[in-house]
Amino acid sequence: MASEAIDREDDQMSDATYNRRLTPRAKAGLGLFARYATILGLLAMIIAFSILSPKAFSTLGNFTNVLNQASLAMIIAGGLTLAVVVGELDLSIGFAASLHGILVTGFIVHDKLPIPLAIAIVLALGALIGLVNGFIVTKMKVNSVIATLGVGTIITGIAFAYSAGVPIVAGVPEAFLQLSLGRWLFGIPNNIVVMVLVLGILWVLVERTSIGQEIQAVGGNPAAARLAGINVDRIKTLGFVISGMCAALTGMLLASRLGSGTTSAADSYLLTAFAAVFLGSATLRDGEFHVLGTLVGALIIAFGFNGLNIFGAPTFSQYVFQGAILIIAVGLSSLGRSLAES
Amino acid sequence: MGAPAAPPFLVVRNIGKAFGGARALRDASLDIIAGEVHGLVGANGAGKSTMIRILAGLNHPDQGSIEIDGQTVAVETPHRATAMGMSFIHQELAFVPGMTVLQNIMLGVPKRSRFGLTDWAAIARDVEPIARRVGITASLNANVKGLSTAENWLINICRALVRKSRLIVMDEPTASLSAAEAEKLFTIIADLSASGVAVLYVSHRLDEILKLCDRVSVLRDGSSVAEFTRAGLTRRALVEAIVGGDTASGDSGPDYVPQNHEVVLRVRNLTRLPKVRGVSFELRQGEVLGIGGLVGAGRSELARLIYGADRPDSGSMTFRGKAYAPKTPQAAVAAGIGLVPEERRTEGLFLTKSVAFNLGLVNLDKLVLGRRVPLLSRKAQSSLARETMKLLSIKTASADNPVGRLSGGNQQKVVIGRWLQRAPHMLILDEPTRGVDIGARAEIHRQIRDLAAAGMAVLVISSEPDELPDLCDRVLVMAEGVVVREMSGASMSRSAIVEASYGERSH
Repeated sequence: MASEAIDREDDQMSDATYNRRLTPRAKAGLGLFARYATILGLLAMIIAFSILSPKAFSTLGNFTNVLNQASLAMIIAGGLTLAVVVGELDLSIGFAASLHGILVTGFIVHDKLPIPLAIAIVLALGALIGLVNGFIVTKMKVNSVIATLGVGTIITGIAFAYSAGVPIVAGVPEAFLQLSLGRWLFGIPNNIVVMVLVLGILWVLVERTSIGQEIQAVGGNPAAARLAGINVDRIKTLGFVISGMCAALTGMLLASRLGSGTTSAADSYLLTAFAAVFLGSATLRDGEFHVLGTLVGALIIAFGFNGLNIFGAPTFSQYVFQGAILIIAVGLSSLGRSLAES
Repeated sequence: MGAPAAPPFLVVRNIGKAFGGARALRDASLDIIAGEVHGLVGANGAGKSTMIRILAGLNHPDQGSIEIDGQTVAVETPHRATAMGMSFIHQELAFVPGMTVLQNIMLGVPKRSRFGLTDWAAIARDVEPIARRVGITASLNANVKGLSTAENWLINICRALVRKSRLIVMDEPTASLSAAEAEKLFTIIADLSASGVAVLYVSHRLDEILKLCDRVSVLRDGSSVAEFTRAGLTRRALVEAIVGGDTASGDSGPDYVPQNHEVVLRVRNLTRLPKVRGVSFELRQGEVLGIGGLVGAGRSELARLIYGADRPDSGSMTFRGKAYAPKTPQAAVAAGIGLVPEERRTEGLFLTKSVAFNLGLVNLDKLVLGRRVPLLSRKAQSSLARETMKLLSIKTASADNPVGRLSGGNQQKVVIGRWLQRAPHMLILDEPTRGVDIGARAEIHRQIRDLAAAGMAVLVISSEPDELPDLCDRVLVMAEGVVVREMSGASMSRSAIVEASYGERSH
């Protein structure tokens, strides 16, 4: 048909866009900047804080502390990375992590379940939430933003129903607290160990396995992935399941650290995770989401907050910082992508 | 109808336009007199669409000039084109679904207002007679959502008249209309013509061209090759002009016709309305079967049915002797079928990923360390990539380069190369050499013949009639969703394919 032929004869783009193209040299320069801007930013921040506050900031204790604090965000952001790599968004993770924190303490305190069993059940529930998200997005064809926002809101409702809004504090066993507070391996905080393990596994999964190739293909071009014989729906659901399990892990570690299961305790991890993931996509690659990038993104946010704290910045500035970093992150990410596509 | 002495409303003089290296228009001219119905015909890729896009201000010519009422003009944007009195009605009609008929008619038209508010009542009074004149029966306040394609066409025509357009360009107007609806459209076109509005009628349907048009311009390979007035207009003359002087048949295709080989794919009455209407054929081992026809004849849709990307309404298939009804492309791949899709950039490639990634994707089972160890062997991935690149002479510095940076020909080789290592029983190639340079084209053809010689069954869809006779053992021509002709050996020729494409059924 003639209108199909229009695309055919002109499969590049219309003249107006054509003329606005940058010179290859300017493009290469911008691309280089976009790829390394986040890492340079991280280094610049660390150096600046070290010079300004050598006693408080640049100590091994503080660095370990920052990493320990950031580990929970890194785990949940690592999971979110899988959801965005397959081309979807998962807004349910913060709410889910809050619920999981309540559930795991509830199972241990009220139901007297052994700790490992409670953890296993909650991990399975995290996977189940991912399955539900995946089903709604792939089978009911609901946009993932709406689907996961809806699921997240329902999850908050369940959390209130389970706890009646009252934090579960009394009777949380010391052994559970030690999960997050302990330093079982060469004195390294457990949170850091778990984070390194989780991100390591996710990195291998995405970058070095055959299923990882399919995951990247589905995110890169779902239509082409389908025609290459990949089960796109299954891969997308897998992304949600991993995201859900990582949210469960973060929720449980947070409950352990706080010593309580509290409604809405982990809600704010949603924004942090998104900022980390988008900052990460602008790191080393042109706007593509990847696990290593997410790690860098999370570090930037963690050191940024730490610096603000050390200098006694008022509370409002932390919100400004987080909002600004999210916008900058998404901006850098889409800059990278548009450069890669042009 | 336009009197011969009337001055032309629009004159297009010797325009040319290239996209990258491909010349879509070389030397095309056209003049349109007020009130005439002017046909524009040409084979796929002859330049009709580019001509329309230039008139509509979507592309700008590299050379040549456009005059309106004797004044040279520059049609910089679609907005300018409208202001100059030209309206364009495309096949995919642009509509705002939630709005009423009247709101859609008035889209982008300056509206009367009272006290700063749009005065819809007054507008409705103005538009009403025009709407009735073009035959809109729906209420102006009805939502456009429930309306038929035919009614949407009328709304577009009405919009053109409200804008006081002097030329309405219609692109394949009857492609999605029923016979009765088409008849109604023809009446409206005659009425437009009588009131002094010119129509540029772009269509593959020569019967309509013959019936409606006062004059017809023919494009071939980007150049104007003929202009007919009503007096000299015959179907035969039109087809000859479209195909070109060379109507000599009997270009010798390959003599080898694998008649005795085992049937790999058998298709019976495969139907998915509206594009595929009862297609039957057989494809044998080692055979290259071409499917020719015009764009929109239902060929790609047929390929999607065979590949499991769409499901048929009815009909059946067998593959390698067993009943075959794939529900997904995954099932087709598992059965041993590969597809090189029509749109390589959107359906075939992962542009930001490396060449090695793109080549490895359907061969992942070969690239893992073990059956139960899903870890990817980077060594296996890059050696597979290097091997394929060598086999197809894919030119790029490294297998790690993003495939989006490769030239069109090399990109196409990557999509084809992906399947070579998998060695499916059957490979479907949809427009394998479109937008590909001559060297790469020859290489792709050689590779297709090699695959067939090695026993693969190959189905090649091509809109270029030149391509099929040299490449294929046998050619089917499709028109309007059915196979209208089958040819093999000496009976395959460019001209026979083109003639059949225009729907002349063989007996």
